[in-house]
Amino acid sequence: MSKQSEQKTVSQKMDELSELVAWFEGDEFELEQALETYSKAEKLAAEIEHDLTNLKNEITVLKEKFDA
Amino acid sequence: MASDQTPKFSVSDFIAVVNQSLEYSFGTVEIEGEVASFKVNQGKWVFFDLKDATGSVNCFMSLFQLRVPVEDGMKVVVRAVPKITAWGKFSLTIQSIRPSGEGSLKKSFELLKAKLDKEGLFSPERKRSLPEIPGHIAVISSTSAAGYADFVKILNDRWGGLKVDVAHVQVQGESAPEQMIRAISYFNQQEVLPEVLVIIRGGGSADDLAAFNDEPLVRAIASSRIPTIVGVGHEVDVSLADMVADRRAATPSNAAQIVVPDKKELTNMLGQLVHRVLARTDGIVDDFMKETKATLRQGWTMLDMRVDLLQSQLVTSRQVMAAYDPKAVLSRGYAIVRGEAMVGGEITIEQQKRIITAEVKNVEAI
Repeated sequence: MSKQSEQKTVSQKMDELSELVAWFEGDEFELEQALETYSKAEKLAAEIEHDLTNLKNEITVLKEKFDA
Repeated sequence: MASDQTPKFSVSDFIAVVNQSLEYSFGTVEIEGEVASFKVNQGKWVFFDLKDATGSVNCFMSLFQLRVPVEDGMKVVVRAVPKITAWGKFSLTIQSIRPSGEGSLKKSFELLKAKLDKEGLFSPERKRSLPEIPGHIAVISSTSAAGYADFVKILNDRWGGLKVDVAHVQVQGESAPEQMIRAISYFNQQEVLPEVLVIIRGGGSADDLAAFNDEPLVRAIASSRIPTIVGVGHEVDVSLADMVADRRAATPSNAAQIVVPDKKELTNMLGQLVHRVLARTDGIVDDFMKETKATLRQGWTMLDMRVDLLQSQLVTSRQVMAAYDPKAVLSRGYAIVRGEAMVGGEITIEQQKRIITAEVKNVEAI
């Protein structure tokens, strides 16, 4: 997994994956690039799955008091 | 006859002493009764009588302290300080007022609902969409409440990597609305706003949930810069806070289901996406191959046609050539005569199978 990729949120990765999938279904599709793009999409999907399995929510109860 | 022990006061002092005695004796009191002669003066001051079957007491409060609609006949509980006014009139200075009993709660709910509806606060056009996958959310709830625990459990089951800031507040009782308003204001003043504001509380009686029908709270939710989701009580409980929120959740658990997608579903979807891409690529490769084969087939057909044409032309040429072949002419009985066509000259006559040498006897023009 690349360092740059690790810094992205799951949401950003999902957007990126959607773009890759859209490329396959769009007019700009070129067979020569398909293999490379498919590998990228497959890797991204695996990263997202990994993130979803391993990431924990960071829950912070604020110290601020809201009573008067 | 008054003795020297009898206290003497000026009127003002007497009123002050009575008020002091009242304060020592009661401080703040809660009184339940029915509202009568309710009126608002100068858009600022509220006056009404609080009565029961045999008694009645004057009440006074500022309009801004009135957080729920009140009208004559409603049963309410007031929190108040008993006082004698400068004019000697006994009155309750109201600090807060809340409807009491199912009928009054319902009445108050309906009055406020109609008022806010008229202002368009519940209009569908005001509803903002929530982000599909938020990265940062804010939660306003009591961290000790069961509803909060349900929310956190479902949230953790469904999603990960989420930053969740929780404002612990009271979610029932008199101070609950104000605490929630402060929490809403706190989150709305952050430099980086959370993407969703979740307000939750588990089930309870109508009285327990009354805080979520508080007018200032409802207005604070409506004016939040952060999109809101409110999940209060159970499916059947409907509060004005629910109605004004960008999204209503039936319960705190349902709020968690709405605010984040389910990672299991998403993982399945990822598999389907990759499969779809693969199928699409396979389809395109198949199409390319079919097209290539068709082009090749067309090429072969053209080539065949060319060869046929050339063969046909060759046959024709051969036929023409054969027609011009001198041997063929000789075979039909003709002869080729060579030599000088002059009397006494020698000529050769070539036939199919022999060559004759002859002398020219005569030459005549025809």
